[in-house]
Amino acid sequence: MTERRSITPYLFLIPALALVATFVLYPIAAVVYYSFTNYDIVTPPTWIGLGNYQHLLRDPTFWKALTNSVVYLVATPIVIGLSVLLAIVVNRQLRGIQIFRALYFVPAVSGSIAIGISWRWLFERNGMLNSALISLGILKEPVQWLTNPDFVLPIAIALTVWAGVGYYAVIFLAGLQNIPEELYDAAQIDGCNSIQKHWHVSLPGLRPQIVFVAVISSLAALKVFDEIYVLTNHTGGVLESGTTIVFYLWRQAFNLSHAGYASAIAIALLLVTLVFSIFLVRGLERGTAAA
Amino acid sequence: MRNRTFLTVGLMAVLAMAACTPSSTSPSPSAAGSAGATQSAVAQASVTPSKAPPCAAESSQKDPVVDGVEANAQISFWTYYLSPTFDDFIKCTIARYEAAYPGVKVHWEDHQASYLDDYRNSINAGSQPDVANLSNNEGWVREFAQAGKLLDLTKNAPSDILGQYFPNLLADNQVGGDSYQFPWYQAIAVELINKKILEEGAGLKTADFPTKVEDLPALCKTIKDKTGTLCDIRLTVNDYLSQITYEGGADVMNADGTKFTFDSPEAVAWLQMYVDMVKAQTVDTDALTTALDRVSLLIFSAGQAAFYQTGPQLIRVVKSNNPDLYNNLALAPLPLGKSGVTQPTSMAISVKADTKFPKASMALAAFFTGPRAMLDFAKIVPIYPSTPAAYDDPFFSETPALIEDSARPLAKTIIQNEKNILPVIPHKKDVNDIVRQAVESALFGGVDPQKALSDAVAQANALLP
Repeated sequence: MTERRSITPYLFLIPALALVATFVLYPIAAVVYYSFTNYDIVTPPTWIGLGNYQHLLRDPTFWKALTNSVVYLVATPIVIGLSVLLAIVVNRQLRGIQIFRALYFVPAVSGSIAIGISWRWLFERNGMLNSALISLGILKEPVQWLTNPDFVLPIAIALTVWAGVGYYAVIFLAGLQNIPEELYDAAQIDGCNSIQKHWHVSLPGLRPQIVFVAVISSLAALKVFDEIYVLTNHTGGVLESGTTIVFYLWRQAFNLSHAGYASAIAIALLLVTLVFSIFLVRGLERGTAAA
Repeated sequence: MRNRTFLTVGLMAVLAMAACTPSSTSPSPSAAGSAGATQSAVAQASVTPSKAPPCAAESSQKDPVVDGVEANAQISFWTYYLSPTFDDFIKCTIARYEAAYPGVKVHWEDHQASYLDDYRNSINAGSQPDVANLSNNEGWVREFAQAGKLLDLTKNAPSDILGQYFPNLLADNQVGGDSYQFPWYQAIAVELINKKILEEGAGLKTADFPTKVEDLPALCKTIKDKTGTLCDIRLTVNDYLSQITYEGGADVMNADGTKFTFDSPEAVAWLQMYVDMVKAQTVDTDALTTALDRVSLLIFSAGQAAFYQTGPQLIRVVKSNNPDLYNNLALAPLPLGKSGVTQPTSMAISVKADTKFPKASMALAAFFTGPRAMLDFAKIVPIYPSTPAAYDDPFFSETPALIEDSARPLAKTIIQNEKNILPVIPHKKDVNDIVRQAVESALFGGVDPQKALSDAVAQANALLP
């Protein structure tokens, strides 16, 4: 007896598919098309074939921006390490621990622009950091942190880490609370101290969460924009010191009106993200299998 | 096989997350707005208009009249950063316009930080406003005129309407010798002086403030040595070629406009001046390189700089943020660059090229930029009219009571002597970006200014046909 296929499920899918098609697939297709054109948003696009991609390969600022984005990935292991530590610290039944858990989550629910502005104030010439360092005698004169090419990216990375630790710590906290208590008891019986318990029980137990956080925080690092935009006063930093791929894409599209070239940069970013994701997921999967 | 399936599904999930998942700090370029747009010279947060009524019932000036306005026209009008502070002025002027042209209706919108993006998107979407406030200084008029999106006023506007403006202002942002904008409100740049730092701290006199830009480095060194304060000077990062032209006195293109020449000795000397100031650490490099004029204004308002170049209308921001500084404020004339002329600082109103109601649109633009509306506007906030007739009103010859009005008696002379000496620059935004990189490499990267500018000229010339 053959089964009759019902079209009802597909009818239910149509609204969602329509939304995906309109707001995801169509823009992606449009970006792919525009990447082969000279387009300034105001006048209709003109086809130039691979011209934008050829320009991309020869553009030193693009490669600088890509390098900065790759360097930004250093935020990932830092944020994972700090988040795991924080989750371990607050995973206790102490009085008032709920307040601490709420407090460290505050950056995650604060607006990124507001956070960026606050950090700008911190690092301005007359900001709190210089005031503190001068009063401690570490500096004699204020330092202009945000116009020093050596400091822009590290400060932006620090901001990303600070803003992300609370968010990811919640994920790790949930993971920790799913690890059976018996494993810690067994470790204690085997003579493990606190650090060894966390190394041999907590970290392996958190592997799925670590894989997840590694993937999403890496992709977020490759796409970073807000921090750079606010910290560098919309300039990307002197000598392109803070210019990341997405910031460069935005500058090309909205400052220089090269939406076609910006689309080519977006496609390049997509390919970089895809390749990176393949290697990351494979690498982590191998690690899981080995464990 | 299973693993491959899992990997494929996993990759698709990862790509979906890459597209949809926010970062820890939610990257959102669309929330950022355009960095190219500076704030309106008039509207700032916390400004308080004067007590004058927004539209005087009686006026010494008349509104311009355009004949043949389309009956029952519905026109859209955008302003830049004027709401809510100047809502009353805009609304009463619109009301007077609608009374002058019965049946015509104006739909007004004010756009702010994202104005330029909104305007471009409106063109793309086919909903470009009929009448729009655009910036001459930012080059918006020329940008959209070159794209064929603005009405050629030289060919379409009545000659008596065009004749009501200062000729030098009407000539701004021309394309092919034709005007595409009605000059609107003007700002005059002056130096705000913090007397506590300059006079009490550094022992100098406001009356001796440098009259030439080339004397500023020595002043900054003295201020730093005596007070530890850095100079709050800003490079016009969105228009380096203007600054090289006006301050440096250099020609940025050859006479027939076929080659760039901004690596001349004059331009190199201009850049060297700033390189020396950065090396001597006498300037705040945050203020120097920012794309936002508000950053520098806030440094000055916080009492952290001896002087700051801006328009008198922004003194209200200082007054609101730091009343103590306001009570210790002085004004000095703007130091001139080697060109010996000052650049017009103006907003404009333009009309959409293919508007359905060209006469009504031009009539609205002429109304707002005409002597009567400009006089009303000037009485509310220290901006200055673009029409000589408006200055005949006694308001402009009164002795001003407030420091923010002290430029008023001189405004007509200053404005009619302003001159746009910058040639039309092909691929201006791209060339500016090339120059920006060259300037930064000299200021912060140790590159010799001559080499930096010569390399930039070679790159810029490669963009020319």
